[in-house]
Amino acid sequence: MIFLSCHPQRTLVIFFFLFQPTKISLDLVDKLERLALVDFGSQEGVECLEKAIRFADQLHVVDTEGVEPMDSVLEDRALYLREDTVTEGNCAEELLGLSKSTEEEYFVAPPGNIPLPKREERTAMLKHSEL
Amino acid sequence: MAASCSGSSAILHKCVPFKSMCNMHQCSGVFIRRIWTSGSKCQLQPKLQSKSASQMVGVVALEIHAQIQAKSKLFSSSRVGFSAPPNSHVSFFDASLPGTLPVLNRRCVEAAVMTGLALNCKINTKSLFDRKHYFYADLPAGYQITQQRVPIAVNGSLSFSYLGGKKRSEVMTKSVRVRQIQLEQDSGKSLHDDQRSRTLIDLNRAGVGLMEVVMDPDMCCGEEAAAAVRELQLILQTLGTCQGNMAEGQLRVDANVSVHHPGEPLGIRTEVKNINSARFVARAIDYEIQRQIEVLESGGTVLNETRAFDSKTGMTVPMRDKEGLQDYRFMPEPNLPPLFVYEGVDTVPDGFDPAHVVVIDRLKAQLPELPRVKRTRLMEEYGILPEHSFTLVNEDGLMDFFESVVQKTKMEPRKLIGWVIKELMGNLNQQNLKVTQSPVSPEALAQLLNLLESGFISSSAAKVVFQEMWKAPEKCVEQLVKELDLGLISDREELVKICQRVMDAHPDLVKVIRGGNKKVLNKLMGVVQKESKGRADPVQLRNILEEMTS
Amino acid sequence: MDVLDQSEIRIPRRHTGRRKPRWQPTVQEALKCEKSEKRRTSAIMLGLSIKEVSAALREGKLSATELCRKCLQRIKKTRHLNAYITVTEELAMRQAQEADDRLLRGKPLGPLDGIPFSVKDNFCTENIETTCASRMLRGYCPPFNATVVQKLLDQGAVLVGKTNLDEFAMGSGSTDGVFGPVRNPWSYAAPYRTLSHGTDPDSDWVITGGSSGGSAAAVASLSSFLALGSDTGGSTRNPGSLCGVVALKPSYSLLSRHGLIPLVNSMDVPGIMSRSVHDTAIALSVLQGRDEKDSTTVQAPDSHPAALPQEFDVRDLCVGVPKEYHAPGLSAETLSQWTRVAAMFERAGARVCEVSLPHTQYSIVCYHVLCCCEVASNMARFDGLQYGHRSAVESSTEALYATTRHEGFNNVVRRRVLSGNYFLLKQNYERYFVKAQQIRRLITEDFRRVFASGVDVLLTPTTLSDAATYSDFIQEDNRTRSAQDDIFTQPVNLAGLPAVTVPTSLSSRGLPLSLQLIGQRLQDRKLLAVAHWMEQQLDFPLIRFHDEDDVQDTKSERNRDRERTSGS
Repeated sequence: MIFLSCHPQRTLVIFFFLFQPTKISLDLVDKLERLALVDFGSQEGVECLEKAIRFADQLHVVDTEGVEPMDSVLEDRALYLREDTVTEGNCAEELLGLSKSTEEEYFVAPPGNIPLPKREERTAMLKHSEL
Repeated sequence: MAASCSGSSAILHKCVPFKSMCNMHQCSGVFIRRIWTSGSKCQLQPKLQSKSASQMVGVVALEIHAQIQAKSKLFSSSRVGFSAPPNSHVSFFDASLPGTLPVLNRRCVEAAVMTGLALNCKINTKSLFDRKHYFYADLPAGYQITQQRVPIAVNGSLSFSYLGGKKRSEVMTKSVRVRQIQLEQDSGKSLHDDQRSRTLIDLNRAGVGLMEVVMDPDMCCGEEAAAAVRELQLILQTLGTCQGNMAEGQLRVDANVSVHHPGEPLGIRTEVKNINSARFVARAIDYEIQRQIEVLESGGTVLNETRAFDSKTGMTVPMRDKEGLQDYRFMPEPNLPPLFVYEGVDTVPDGFDPAHVVVIDRLKAQLPELPRVKRTRLMEEYGILPEHSFTLVNEDGLMDFFESVVQKTKMEPRKLIGWVIKELMGNLNQQNLKVTQSPVSPEALAQLLNLLESGFISSSAAKVVFQEMWKAPEKCVEQLVKELDLGLISDREELVKICQRVMDAHPDLVKVIRGGNKKVLNKLMGVVQKESKGRADPVQLRNILEEMTS
Repeated sequence: MDVLDQSEIRIPRRHTGRRKPRWQPTVQEALKCEKSEKRRTSAIMLGLSIKEVSAALREGKLSATELCRKCLQRIKKTRHLNAYITVTEELAMRQAQEADDRLLRGKPLGPLDGIPFSVKDNFCTENIETTCASRMLRGYCPPFNATVVQKLLDQGAVLVGKTNLDEFAMGSGSTDGVFGPVRNPWSYAAPYRTLSHGTDPDSDWVITGGSSGGSAAAVASLSSFLALGSDTGGSTRNPGSLCGVVALKPSYSLLSRHGLIPLVNSMDVPGIMSRSVHDTAIALSVLQGRDEKDSTTVQAPDSHPAALPQEFDVRDLCVGVPKEYHAPGLSAETLSQWTRVAAMFERAGARVCEVSLPHTQYSIVCYHVLCCCEVASNMARFDGLQYGHRSAVESSTEALYATTRHEGFNNVVRRRVLSGNYFLLKQNYERYFVKAQQIRRLITEDFRRVFASGVDVLLTPTTLSDAATYSDFIQEDNRTRSAQDDIFTQPVNLAGLPAVTVPTSLSSRGLPLSLQLIGQRLQDRKLLAVAHWMEQQLDFPLIRFHDEDDVQDTKSERNRDRERTSGS
């Protein structure tokens, strides 16, 4: 039969000598939480990101000089264009029915343009909100 | 660079409070007049500046969001319509229901290509869509689909003219670079209910197609920027790609403003948002330039921030946003393969119906006469002044009105233009009417001018008749002339009688004339005209008076 | 026990429909004490192929309502598997009745009319709860059907329920959803139970794989004839493999994603699970094609007829065996199956050659980055305003969003969202996202090169080994597990190729082992033709539960069968 012996991933071994692990600063933790509006939860969550970055760093053992990035397998296929006709949209009642909070025909949000509270307060807020 | 990077502005167009927006744009004043209200910064600047900063000048770039005039939205088949009940024009996609996908509207692509062609852009035959992420209550998906990497049109220019110079009668021409035009989604509207401390969300506008036109920092003051905006507005309206009503938010302007000493690197810029009229564009920018100069003069530094223009106070104020922290985390929109448009029908690949793709040549052939070309043609064809050509082109429908009158009367266009600009526009502006709402039709005006031209009435009488026509549009011109008894007195005897009466009443004048001062004859003519309600033919009257005073 | 030995004893299973001996005992069944044939009848009816049951429906030997009721009963009986999140009993019975009306008139809508199917709970179903196994979408009833669901309904297929998964399809075990883990039906089947020497089934059950574990379990446990899964990195093929069902990941863009709640838009495809390649082909012909609601869909190639060729000559075939797939951790049994089937192709006259896909080893890292980024983006819409879970914190919009997302997403989702946001930061975009996209091209090019060299299909393992026990599986974190479990399935998604997993035999533990065939883009039909041939040679056994107790049902079913037959 044609099978060779098990194929070791040698390059990935080399990698661990080449790249320093990334440490996530508290500022970056804060920034990511504010941008993503998702919390790390604990130090473990931060370590999980560090591991994910470490894992991703393996990309850098591959030489990609001159390689075009690939968005999707449809990169050469022309986008379909539809006619400018109105065929949907008259469904306010249906949509508003999906929302937990509406007022007359509006969706309702709390006041805007208020940044998330500081990290300590935030933790308390999330703890408090736990179901 | 002072200009912001592309596509960073949608976030700020959301603060639409309950109170209606300032109702500015009424197609009222002539374009030139609108600019005057701001005061020309280019000229005011030197006066405002102290010696230490004497060379400091403003640098202005613009990002203009134009709502595409189309029946349906950019990526969904829900209606584009305003003043509809809240959330009545919202598809599942617009509400970002999970699992829904964007499907691009061909009309929006064509509008962007046409606009690109009109602004001398290179049209990218392959362009791409990207997601731009930020959280805002009226952006349901948490991202906006835009064209960050490869927009549909790039490297164009916008030429515009305005009246400047010392007497504001000099036509100044300027060209600014158009860096790109990108297709993107509009956001919904947030209505802030401060009393109950909450926000009401209406998604009718969410997903409406926008063209973001990004201009390079080639302008130096509010007046230039306002003129550029006005010219763009006209072009879009001419093309029919955007209705361009700024008060309704169909055209929205963000200005990137910085100051520097010429020859030195550009200063730190601020972005001024929420400008909803051409006049405010000028005011907001001039205020901001002056503010920055003052900050620097007093030893401070300009912060890279977003500011909002308050039309009540005429000032710009900092906006609270994520500036500094903000990172839009752009990434390719995976649900939209590349957008291809084709140079000509012959380049459309097999398997595609040419009727269903966008062909640049075809759109080029459909381009209407653009404002600049129109103005030149009007000046050449009718021998009118440049400033008149501006008014004709800049006022919606006025050029058609003018050309219609020209066709129907024997009067020379050069003479006729005064009637259109002064009488017609004067009345329209006074009553805040659009040209199309004029009670006097081009036909009626032509009839009046024909009477004037044929010598049936005098020019001053014609003006009186015009005002009467305005009040009673149902009456025909001849009828009015008759009713007002304003026809020229053709009977020589009658004229002689009136002259005699006037001469008898003014023996002193007659004496002076007879004494050799023929100039006073004009004064006498004036008195006679007053007496005859302007019905005397000036030439005939002069003859008679000359005879009688000799 | 040597798997090869097992297969030799197995009696060939028919696929042409000419013979009907599906209940003929397999070696595993032989291992068990004898059972009366009666007790197996219900399983037999439910274990028929779509082709067979469709014929029975048309011939009036069976009614759709009866069949539907059987499936619903089977669902109840196998509730411990946790395969379904929602069972649409009422609707299913109504649809079955409608199917019967058509069948009685002799006007069925097609080969799927009256056939019970289930749908992974990340496909939108109109007015039927669609949860993604997440607290975020608990109680959410979409106002529309996913295109693929609609197409099945339009064919008269009967929706019996929505199946369990990992939250938002993020996982490879179907263990990380808010409704708890799915249990592999083979944990309760005779072979595993016999071989595990009577250990308590609640302590040593094995996972289904994931994320479409519920769909795989539904098909494997005979409560659905067909199930929709979704496949982003192997989510249909992985559980298909571990549950011993045929699972197809079609070419990207061949099936509409409209209504599929996305994980990674540029890689997601609806997957098809059934108990035979032929059934899969029937479903594919119904589901494929352009959808105006999904701009990434394409017209199905003209060369896609409804039925597979009965006779398929493998002598013209070149089967590639990628050497890099001989990866660390590959079990001896799986390797042995791989070797066996490759040899089988060779013996039948196919050319089998070793090929190289050098960048495959990076695909999981590449996928990791691209997946996190798209997840970060796709999950941004879940904020509690328009639909889904909404937190009670109303102090500000951002506070509402943050608490809603905290409460609504599990750890796995939250961490992927944060990683994705990190990779997409302006300063990291080139370093991670663009770099991953470049590697994506290299991986795609590898496949292109191999296929250009004359290879028709690639033969690879689907998973490293048979299913792990739940207690072993949860030792590792989600990301590590996905990295291990998706290595053979994942590269295909990056390249948009079709791939199908076909069960080959049972392992020494009595659990399914499977192999994967990878085809050229948009040559799904050809791929299935090869898979069909392979399946015919392999004869994988039908599941039989350890404590199968269908006596009552079987009786009534038989009676009804008789009544119906005599009545018509």
